[in-house]
Amino acid sequence: MTRMGVAPDLSTLREAFSTLDVHDYGDVLQCMRCGFCLPTCPTYRTDGVETQSPRGRVAMIKAVVDGRMDPTEEFAEHMYHCLDCRNCHTVCPAGVKAGELVLEARHRIEEHRPQGAVKRFFLEYAVRDQRRLSRLLAPARFYRRTGIQTLVRKYDLLKAVSAGLSHLEAMMPDIPPRPLTETIPEEIPADGKEKGRVGFFLGCAMNLLYPEASRATAWLLSRAGYTVVIPRAQQCCGAPNIEEGERRVYREMAGHNVDLFLGKRVDFVVTDCAACGNELKSYGKLLSGRERSSRYGNVFSEKVRDVSEFLSRALGPEVPLGPLEEEVCFHDPCHLCHAQGITAPPRELLRRIPGLRLSEVPDAGQCCGSAGVYSITHADRSMKILAAKVEAIGKTGARTVVSSNPGCLLQLEYARRRFGTNWEVVHISQILRRSLARGEEKGGRE
Amino acid sequence: MTIELARKLEELLGKEKVLSSESDRLCYSYDATPLVSHLPEVVVRASTEEDVHAVLEAAAKEGATVTPRGSGTGLSGGSVPVNGGIVLLTTGMNRILDVDADDLSVTVEPGVITSDLHAAVEAKGLFYPPDPGSMKISTIGGNVAENSGGLRAMKYGITGDYVLALETYFVDGSKVRYGTKCVKDVAGYNLTKFLVGTEGTIGIFTKITLRLVPKPQSKKTILALYDDLLAAGRTVSAIVSRKVIPSTLELMDDVTIACVEEYAKIGLPRDAAALLLIETDGHPEVVREEGAKIEEACRENGARSVRMAKDAAESTELFTARRMALAALARVKPTTILEDITVPRPAIPEMMAAIREAAKKYSLRMGTFGHAGDGNLHPTCLTDERDKEEILRVEAAYDEIFRKAISLGGTISGEHGTGMAKSKYLPMMVGPKAVEVMARIKGVFDPQGRLNPGKIFRTEAR
Repeated sequence: MTRMGVAPDLSTLREAFSTLDVHDYGDVLQCMRCGFCLPTCPTYRTDGVETQSPRGRVAMIKAVVDGRMDPTEEFAEHMYHCLDCRNCHTVCPAGVKAGELVLEARHRIEEHRPQGAVKRFFLEYAVRDQRRLSRLLAPARFYRRTGIQTLVRKYDLLKAVSAGLSHLEAMMPDIPPRPLTETIPEEIPADGKEKGRVGFFLGCAMNLLYPEASRATAWLLSRAGYTVVIPRAQQCCGAPNIEEGERRVYREMAGHNVDLFLGKRVDFVVTDCAACGNELKSYGKLLSGRERSSRYGNVFSEKVRDVSEFLSRALGPEVPLGPLEEEVCFHDPCHLCHAQGITAPPRELLRRIPGLRLSEVPDAGQCCGSAGVYSITHADRSMKILAAKVEAIGKTGARTVVSSNPGCLLQLEYARRRFGTNWEVVHISQILRRSLARGEEKGGRE
Repeated sequence: MTIELARKLEELLGKEKVLSSESDRLCYSYDATPLVSHLPEVVVRASTEEDVHAVLEAAAKEGATVTPRGSGTGLSGGSVPVNGGIVLLTTGMNRILDVDADDLSVTVEPGVITSDLHAAVEAKGLFYPPDPGSMKISTIGGNVAENSGGLRAMKYGITGDYVLALETYFVDGSKVRYGTKCVKDVAGYNLTKFLVGTEGTIGIFTKITLRLVPKPQSKKTILALYDDLLAAGRTVSAIVSRKVIPSTLELMDDVTIACVEEYAKIGLPRDAAALLLIETDGHPEVVREEGAKIEEACRENGARSVRMAKDAAESTELFTARRMALAALARVKPTTILEDITVPRPAIPEMMAAIREAAKKYSLRMGTFGHAGDGNLHPTCLTDERDKEEILRVEAAYDEIFRKAISLGGTISGEHGTGMAKSKYLPMMVGPKAVEVMARIKGVFDPQGRLNPGKIFRTEAR
């Protein structure tokens, strides 16, 4: 699948890279080329070549900035081979943020070449409103509800049209009839004495595809003693825009979200999507000195917490987690463990559930290959990465795979159809809710 | 030439094994050595012995140079293709062929990752001691070519001490198998010993048999802090004179300690002048006894504090400072230049003083850490490659450091190799006659100088 429209104009692009500012260039120079990023990079693991490694990507960017290599179409493609999993950030001894450099390179490439209509429609229009996004899913809901999907899958009808389209169709998840924003109130009072006010940032994918998981999150936040504010006017966090090099609309949406949540006078902003969490935490940095809201970007970002990060502290010992006799493992979303450095809180929470047996996935911290639209744009490699993950999870003997990012949930659920895995995939809020409900049942509450 | 050579190789090996685009070539123009790089014409990914043979024959026909490469983590420029030509990747040849628990040996292909080998043999209660710093990604082929060391060298030796047999292709496409699994084997010249550490200038290994030892049953870790670097140096000798050979004996100087604390905030005193990390392994009784002797040696030689780990978790904690050393230093400035001298153990204090003096004289920020147990030190310069004037001072400082190491009976490289980085100092180190002998040997195997040219032997000005 070609993702690039028209080839970029080389001379303007060259110029664009020559101005990579001093800070970022320092980051480029910081790379010692030690190669410590190679063994954990998912694309180096699948492809085994240097161009598919963080060290190689940094080398390419440096060569383009120095004017030793042209920012050609091949270069642009290499910048899009990266899954942005940030595993390299975790392992780099010198603190090079190769993933962020790749995003900076994408930005410079996209700023200087014409953008396709579909991409513009999505990144500049659709993501700005949850209702628009929901309406876009109407045909998919229709497709499933009418049973056309059953027919298509039964007779493999799309294979004849195109293998790519067939893959896309196969990946299609269950789409709930209504997004959460349409069924949840804008404010849920704290259960018991109010400890504070929490703004709940609803990621687009969680809202549209996993409304029940996010409903569980809101319920848990309220049980933890917080008033939960869910502003309906919230827009996309902007992660898809950043991934695709788009920053104008990104800044507008970020500014909107900052104003919206700070206006609600919340103590914290909690999200149950790891990718959103990372993006929201980056507002302070990415908005700096640019928009009216910029000075509030840092204030906002400092309030942001991932759901596990928040609940591991907020759910006190008085909250009666009930027993669940299950074998589970936790799949670390890259944007949680590498981008936000959060690995202990979800495990702490799971260990608090009586009876639950938590085992570690042998390759913990490795991407599952979902990575936003990567599973569609780079389907072959994405499937290889998923296959490795399936094998690793299989070694744990877990019957339930817990995670906390919609992309990972989709990909791991797809593993069931693709590789015939028999584990159940749940969001961490769902399993916590299950346990808490069990505990309250026993305790005679409700 | 580039396109033609690439096309011929593609016909021979298939398109998927040949990389020749601009970005492919760029990404194989370097290894982990600072300041050196050169674009190859084409890169070939060998996945079998036959591929290696085919590439060498094609290169011979075309008169092309061949530079073998593993994961490219070397620190002397050993896999940088200074004359262009073909880069021959052996990372695809990564099968562990046989772990022989009855005869304590393992046979592997050259592309096996060092730590994968560790895991495979340790699963059977066996142990392959060499543990170079890059072991999570370095290849055994590269380790053998560079004769890599690591943290456990003091007690267990280095890569070359474990190589039993090698299957080697020479640049003309011919192949030699030398060595057996036998401990005693004196048939003819010992070609195995000779080939180890030849840095890819004599041949390309396609099969490697390594000696294994039983995995140590237990270990004990000790961390000692000092107010005086000389006291730490004296401790090293004091441990050895108590007839204890620790499996690890690492040293960090004040600059390194301060950088580690700045970066990781693990509670090291910022005013400490030196740190020793010591580990002993073996039978639990022996380990207990040796641990006590080490502690005593530290205390009697003026350690400000001595901490002995009670369990594996605490041992890991004590290792944190040492593990963080390179990372902490590397973050300070954009360019990190890591050097690799070795001196006899008793000369460590004098060498450390000389390093400090050179850093002061040339106004450089230099932290030193290393394997004090075997005298191998890594003076690490924190600099900025854009500052050409400072880079000249860095070179001048290292020049003095190398001379001092040689004058103390030490060497210009303990474990990184000669490569491009040290070729200038080789004649000073071993004498012109020895270099001439080496050049004659090289000439026998590779008269046209097509295998990994520009390494070890200095051709012209940099």
